[in-house]
Amino acid sequence: MRGALINIFLTAAVLFFPVSAFSAGTVKYMHVLTIYSDEKDMGLKNPEGVACNEERIIVADTANQRFLQFKLEDRTLTAGAEIIVPQVTYPVLVKFNAKGEIFALDGKQRRIARLSPEGSFTGYLEPSGIPSPASYAIKSFEIDKDNNIYVLDIYSGRVIVLNPDGAYRAHVNFPAGYGFISDVTVDFKGNILLLDSVKSMVYTAAKGADVFSPLTEGMKEQMRFPTSLTTDDRGRIYLVDRNGSRIMVIGQDGSFLGQMSELGWKEGLLNYPSQMCVNSKGEVVVADTNNSRVQIFKLIK
Amino acid sequence: MKLNLMRMRLALMSLLIMSVFMISAQASDDLKFRLKPGAKGELCLKCHEPFKEKLKAAFVHTPVKNGECSGCHNPHTSAQGKLLDTVSTRICDSCHKNMVPDNARSMHKLVVEGNCVQCHDPHASGNKAVLVKGGNELCLDCHKDTAEKIKAVRFKHKPVNENCMNCHNPHASEKLGFLLKEDVPALCVKCHKTDNPAFGRQHMNYPVAVSRCNSCHDSHGSNRPVIIFEDVHAPVAEKKCSQCHEEAGSQSPLATKKKGVELCSGCHKDMIDVTFSKNRVHSPLLDKDGCLNCHNAHAARQKKLLTGTVLYVCGKCHSDTVELQHASKINPKNPGLCKPVKDGDCVSCHSPHSSDYMLLAEKPSMSFDICNKCHDWKTHSTHPVGEKIIDPRNKNLSVDCISCHRACGTGNKPAMSQFETVTETCIQCHKELERR
Repeated sequence: MRGALINIFLTAAVLFFPVSAFSAGTVKYMHVLTIYSDEKDMGLKNPEGVACNEERIIVADTANQRFLQFKLEDRTLTAGAEIIVPQVTYPVLVKFNAKGEIFALDGKQRRIARLSPEGSFTGYLEPSGIPSPASYAIKSFEIDKDNNIYVLDIYSGRVIVLNPDGAYRAHVNFPAGYGFISDVTVDFKGNILLLDSVKSMVYTAAKGADVFSPLTEGMKEQMRFPTSLTTDDRGRIYLVDRNGSRIMVIGQDGSFLGQMSELGWKEGLLNYPSQMCVNSKGEVVVADTNNSRVQIFKLIK
Repeated sequence: MKLNLMRMRLALMSLLIMSVFMISAQASDDLKFRLKPGAKGELCLKCHEPFKEKLKAAFVHTPVKNGECSGCHNPHTSAQGKLLDTVSTRICDSCHKNMVPDNARSMHKLVVEGNCVQCHDPHASGNKAVLVKGGNELCLDCHKDTAEKIKAVRFKHKPVNENCMNCHNPHASEKLGFLLKEDVPALCVKCHKTDNPAFGRQHMNYPVAVSRCNSCHDSHGSNRPVIIFEDVHAPVAEKKCSQCHEEAGSQSPLATKKKGVELCSGCHKDMIDVTFSKNRVHSPLLDKDGCLNCHNAHAARQKKLLTGTVLYVCGKCHSDTVELQHASKINPKNPGLCKPVKDGDCVSCHSPHSSDYMLLAEKPSMSFDICNKCHDWKTHSTHPVGEKIIDPRNKNLSVDCISCHRACGTGNKPAMSQFETVTETCIQCHKELERR
């Protein structure tokens, strides 16, 4: 009898202890460096977009109406080369595809421009074959590892999936009762994730599914007004809480994992951040918009 | 037959058991204070003699009528005022349960707070439901804005003047906002006969019997005929419904000819062209509802056909900022709170449609250009402030108003400061003064 009780106790301990030990754990990170200017020492002005992979970072230096490209090696940045693309007058969002091409959303024209890996304009993304309603308004977009493009269409309330050439493949309508959908991303499993800024909620649609369902409940108590989301290769989801000037991290199951940074002017602190990206080395790059700079953090695993 | 007999016996047994429980409950209540037989309230009235007069009122609270004073009061001691059995905000709950349905859509604040005695006399009154006042007087004592409006408007709505309860439930509404008893138009068509030919003619033969009447009419009355809202969209005032809607005789007469901004651009083209020429367009303008996210297409109580006050309209999405504004407003450390923040006038600083600048700021610099509209920042203090003064913390920033203050309010911090104390503010840059 006593032995059985001990066994039950031990089983319970094994089952519950890890949950309590790690579920509320904070996200551990360190500030690595801050980008203030380009190679000619011209300062950034309200940058809103950042894309990164293991070798390079591209910054949408929004109010300066240009891009900056940096190489990142061993926590050292080469000076940022300026890229001016007359066809993109107000870049607010940037992404790389698997080939290293740069895709940028022009906030003024609400069009997605394609740039070569070196930054030359190669054309606008022209979605084709979109079923009725044919009208769309692009708020954001994502590119998956197969170079499919996921366009966030806030006019018709849907995510339009395009092949790498821009031809229509599928669409998934926004969930019923949404507040305002600000951003879309695709995780490493191919699940589409949507961010509702007004409700501070994340919705998900499994790869190939045609409906979104809530991944989280409303997280108004944890964050103020998240406007951008991305995921890492471990499936963690990063929400940029713009009005809260911080980054909130949630797990694949929607559980709250922790917070990175907070409002401030000192290095490592944020002021109305916009887009962020994270590469496979765990380097997190954040467009620290109202501080007119880009900050790089390193996740400590 | 045998089965029926069994069933009957079972029912009788159940009744018997229930009766025993009821009797014992009654007995236990009587025995609660070991009162003399028949004493109850009469015993209390021996001392509380003036109370006898009160009990002559037309409507007496049932326990009072039954002499159950001890139902609410403890005759010996109590931690509560008036020797109440429990806190005054919860005492009514002990009998009047479920006054607010679970997950009610709207609830009367007084009911939620348990402040029942604001409306009801717990003992007796001359009004039905032991209300402290009769008719609308009770409601309008608190809802003074509505009272003034109802009194002032030229064209009155009869049911409003008769009784607020014609349309509203005083406690809660399970499925509707504003404590409404029924949804619109069901509530309205109880009196207004929509099959009357005159009704059709007045509405240009559009099938509005299924529409929301309160998208044009102010249920509390108006200075305009047919109690239409004060601010009326020109096509509505001119009865040119087909300017935006399909023809009345068409298959879908209530459908609009176009969606979103495209519909409005037919008349407001210049304004919309300017809006869309800016770097940043407010996102709601881009969705299918477009302008209607914030404006009412027909008529509105607010100017510019806004669906509510500026604070209400902005707060529908930006509730986090409105919470900050509210916290700043009620913060006693903020007696001289910035007027637009105090008034919730977001559009004093932000352009609600579009802007070339961050956060839809009305002008390039949130500080120098916008704050300067009211504050002469050059004379604000001897501290160097200006576009040429570089922020020591960040070479890409100038020292400006928002280096120290936060434009939408900062909740519990004084003077809309970014930081808790003056010292904390100063040592952000003046590190040499920091005490270690």
